This record gives sequence, structure tokens and C-alpha cells, in this order.
Amino acid sequence: MSSEAEPLTSESPEALVVRPLGDRRYLVTLADGTQRVALAARGAGGTWVFLRGRTFFIPDAGASPARSAAARDDGAALAAPMPATVVAVNVEPGASVSHGDVLVVLEAMKMELPIKAPRDGRIRRILCRAGELVQPGSPLLELD
Amino acid sequence: MTIRRILIANRGEIAVRVIRACREMGITSVAACSDADLHALPATLADRTVRIGPPPAAESYLSIGAIIDAARQSGADAIHPGYGFLSEDAAFAAACVDAGIVFIGPPAAVIERMGSKVAARRLAAEAGVPVVPGQAPEDQSDVSIAGAAKAIGLPVLIKPSEGGGGIGMKAVHDHRELPGAIAQARREAEAAFGDGTLYVERLIERPRHVEMQVFADDLGQVVHLFERECSLQRRHQKVIEESPSTALTPGLRGRMADAALAVARAAGYRNAGTVEFLVAGHGDAAEFYFLEMNTRLQVEHPVTELVTGLDLVRAQILVAAGAPLPWRQDAILQRGHAIEARVYAEDPDSHDLPQAGRLLLYREPVHPGVRVDAGVIEGSDVTVHYDPLLAKLIGWGETRDIARARTIAALEQFAILGVRTNVGFLIDLLADERFASGEIDTGFIARKREASGAPAASVVPPEVLAVAAASRTHGSVGAGTGNRRPGTVGGGEPDPWTTLRGTRV
Repeated sequence: MSSEAEPLTSESPEALVVRPLGDRRYLVTLADGTQRVALAARGAGGTWVFLRGRTFFIPDAGASPARSAAARDDGAALAAPMPATVVAVNVEPGASVSHGDVLVVLEAMKMELPIKAPRDGRIRRILCRAGELVQPGSPLLELD
Repeated sequence: MTIRRILIANRGEIAVRVIRACREMGITSVAACSDADLHALPATLADRTVRIGPPPAAESYLSIGAIIDAARQSGADAIHPGYGFLSEDAAFAAACVDAGIVFIGPPAAVIERMGSKVAARRLAAEAGVPVVPGQAPEDQSDVSIAGAAKAIGLPVLIKPSEGGGGIGMKAVHDHRELPGAIAQARREAEAAFGDGTLYVERLIERPRHVEMQVFADDLGQVVHLFERECSLQRRHQKVIEESPSTALTPGLRGRMADAALAVARAAGYRNAGTVEFLVAGHGDAAEFYFLEMNTRLQVEHPVTELVTGLDLVRAQILVAAGAPLPWRQDAILQRGHAIEARVYAEDPDSHDLPQAGRLLLYREPVHPGVRVDAGVIEGSDVTVHYDPLLAKLIGWGETRDIARARTIAALEQFAILGVRTNVGFLIDLLADERFASGEIDTGFIARKREASGAPAASVVPPEVLAVAAASRTHGSVGAGTGNRRPGTVGGGEPDPWTTLRGTRV
């Protein structure tokens, strides 16, 4: 068994059986005998799993952080979460901002998406301008 | 006249719906596709496909010239516009007539009249139907809009005079929020509709959104097909719709049906249309207000089809060809309960952001009383160019509880992998106790989200990790359109996982 499955042995001491049914379907039998059919598909950088209406993406060990990590990053750089057009940049370098302030407004699919300050801070750099098309993960600005 | 060949000026699930109606009726279907959709499901299901332009909608699905050219080129004698795009564009309906092509929908003059919120409101009021207090000031300056808001009395809703779909709509509870809301609404209105004219109306708190389906033919018959409740919305976009509405008593339903028929008659309506109302209060004493009329087939039309047992798309085509309505009012009955859940490629944990990618795996559920209208199959690419609606799942049952249980059970089997979807979120909504009790209004989703707070870091159950591990070891890498390793189904190839049966992992 590959090393990625290591957490299983430590986190679930009870017996858990997974049996491939073919066609990317898997029969999961829990310790209490409950059966569920899960589906799995290998994607870029990880594995997608569907189980009872819920979807999971399990990154491969050593894969780069998922895109969503960039979108929710509350560190120094704020990034675009999706392909979008920058509608407005509401701040200037050096400006002090408070948690929740709208710093940049993006627009995609005719909806405006405000990018808010994740915390109090000072704008270090602006990395986008109004009218620009940005890609997922593109840094928009940096907070000190 | 007879319609022999229909060009479908739309994409996704509604294009598929129309193609299927054409097939049943012996009509040749022509899928109009942008470059982004040349390999999408409608392009493979239709009898013919015609390219209309590059991916941006403005150069393809919204281009009147490109669509009319495509209809001429393919020899179509009628155009079905679906919903969205050009479906409520009076100039497009007129261009079809000028080109000698039947527009499957109401006449251009009716679209124009009902497309203006101001004119439609006036028409409804003159027909004796109650309307929400509001106005579109002649003077459209920010100061004048703010003045109108104060005159009407806060809270108000500021929205584009043209358009719909909740785009650009801003609720304002405090006069200090007015300048920002006006600027944002105007920007969104200009970007989406090319017209920044704003409309201000009284915000009805905790309203329910209930709409009546109407249908009219060229011979003067006008009927209604009962209501749809569309209160479950996020940012003014519908997510779950049902019929009947738990808000309507038989008395209220009768009054709203009469009001909808009065609006349709006053408008000189033809073909399928929907009269939208806000409902406030409970029981027979509840009040309703005319909101607007949608002069097209609605996304949620299957809910009506399941409770009435009637085919709205077929009737649209018949009526457009000049035939009488296939049903009389007294033969139209509401039976059982239907619930539609809209499945979107979007991340409910991250501001409902639309997702793009390839559907690595896509399996529609098979379940009694459940219908799936989809615009995708396994291997389809979901692009950023268009609305991220993948499919609609509609559950029918004798009672609301049965319909709800079926819809949940079917969603639990609706496996879509490769992009994030709102399936889990839909299940949470349908399973909510307050939804089960029927106590819903248009603020339901926003309050539910506020109550649950920020999405918790998702905990991955051990069985999911185990399946992922099994897939890594066993499954095919880079699986696309249903490809799988030979020998995994009933094959003779030794399988390490079957031999691991009973092993602790």
C-alpha cells in the first residue's frame, strides 16, 4: 500500500474495507457493517471522491497547495479567487485598512465580488489595476 | 403553418430540453453553438450544429445578427430562444419576424412592454393588480435616486430598470449606505445591460417569491398552470423551486391566478409566460404584489410540468405555429408536489464562486419520481464564459415530504467530480428543519449561512481517504470520458484490491 494512506492506520483503528466495483465505483464497508458506494476520479494533483452527496478533493502527497488555499490566504498577499476583471481598486499604497474594508472589486459573470481586508493592516503594494483581467491566484495587493 | 426545423439560440440544459421536444415532434433541431460549445452536449444531440461565433456571449449567443444568419444558413423556419440571452429581447423577436422566421415566444411589442419594469407595473396596476410602491426617477442623478429612496421610505431595493436575474440589485436599510449602493447598482447595470437606469422600490421584508405560470394562444385563450414557489435564493438567484407553494391557501391561490390572468390579458400575451409576485403574510389574509412578468420559458418550468403532467416546451412550439392551446383551463390540475434543485459548478464555501474544469466523472441518479435535465455529460468542459448551471434535478412525490425525501436521496447519488459543485449545499437546504416545515422566505439562505458562520475546515472522513488511496493504487490515472482500465469490470485480471478484502487499512 502506498505511503499516502498512512493516516488511515493512525486515525481509524476500526476495520474499514474498500472494494473496487469497477467503473471507478468503490464499495465502502464501515466497521459497523454499513455499506456505501463511493466514486473516485484521479485529477491533476490529487483524487476526487464522491460519497453520499459530498465531494472531496484529496491532494497527492507533495502536491502544491490547492488553488483554494490562495483564495483564502489571509497572509500578506491577497489573490484573485477566479478569472475576473478588476473593476475598482479602492486603496493606495501606504493606506491603513481595517478588517472587512473592500480593497478591490472584481467582476466575473456579471457579478461583483468584493475583495475585503482579512485583517487590519497597511497596504504595502498594489499589484493590479482597474480594467485588468486577472487569473486565479494572481496577487492583487500586499498587506503589511 | 407547420414548423419543420428549429434553431436553438441557447446552450446547456435548456438547449438539450428543446432538442428533445423537437425529436418527439418530428422537428429537425439545429444547435447554435459558440466556439466554446462546439463539443458540448447540445452540439452532439442536435440533428445539426451551426457555429455562431467566439466564446464571449456578446459575439455569439447575444448577437442578433449571428443568430439570424445561423437560422438562414441552416434553413430553420423557427427559433427557440430558451431563457436568458436573447429570450427577452424585443429587437431579436422583431428581427426574427423580419427574416420570415417564427420566434417561439410572445410578439416583440409584448416583450418590449413587459420588459420595462415601469411600463409593466403600470399595466398591472391598471388591470387592478396590486404593485409594490416604487419609481424610476426621470432625473437619474445619484441625488435624485437617493431622494426617491427617502420618499418611498427605507428599506428600499435599488435595481436596474432593465434586466433581471438579481444582477445589480442592492438592498438599503440605512440612508448612509445609499451612495455606495447607487454607484454599485449603476456600475453593474451598465456592465450587464448597457443601461444604467435605476429603479427604486420599497423592500418588502421577509417576502416569499411566488410566480404563476400562464400560457396564451393566438385564438384568445389564456390559461394558468398554477404557481411555483421560488423563495430559496442566494443573492437573488433561485436555487430551489417547488410547486405547490406552502404559502398559498386555496383562496389566495385563486386570487393570484386571477391576477396573473388579468396581467396576461392586459398585455395581449402569447405563448408561455410567468407573472412574478411577492407574498407577505400568512393564510387567506396574505398580501401579494405584482413584481414583473417574464416573457419566456423559466428555468424552473419542469416543476410545473411534473405537477400538471403537461409538456410546456411542446405547447410553446404548437402555439408558435398558430395552433390552439392543447389544454383547457378546467383540465389543468395540480397533482402531488415537485421540488427542483439547481446543480451549479460553484463553491458554496467560497462565495459561490463559479468553478471551471473538466467533468472527470458524472453520474446522474436513477430514482423513482426523479427527473434530471442536464446540459453536460462525463468529459464535458465547464468554462468560465457562461452561467455555471450544470443540471436541474427535480423530485416528484404525492406529498411535499415525499418529494423532499426523493430529491435528497437522488442528490446523494448525483456524483460529479472534477469541479466543485453545490450538491452538498442543496442537500443541507432540503434537509433543514425550517425548510421541511415550509417556513421559508427569500432571506432563508442568507440567514442560514450567517447562523452557521464561516465554513469550517472540511474534515475528511477516513472512508474517503481510504477510497482515495484505493483509487490511487487501483484507478486509472487522468481518467476522462469514462475510460477505465480494461479488466476492472468482470475481467480476469488479478486485482490487488479484491484480494485485500477484509484487510484492515
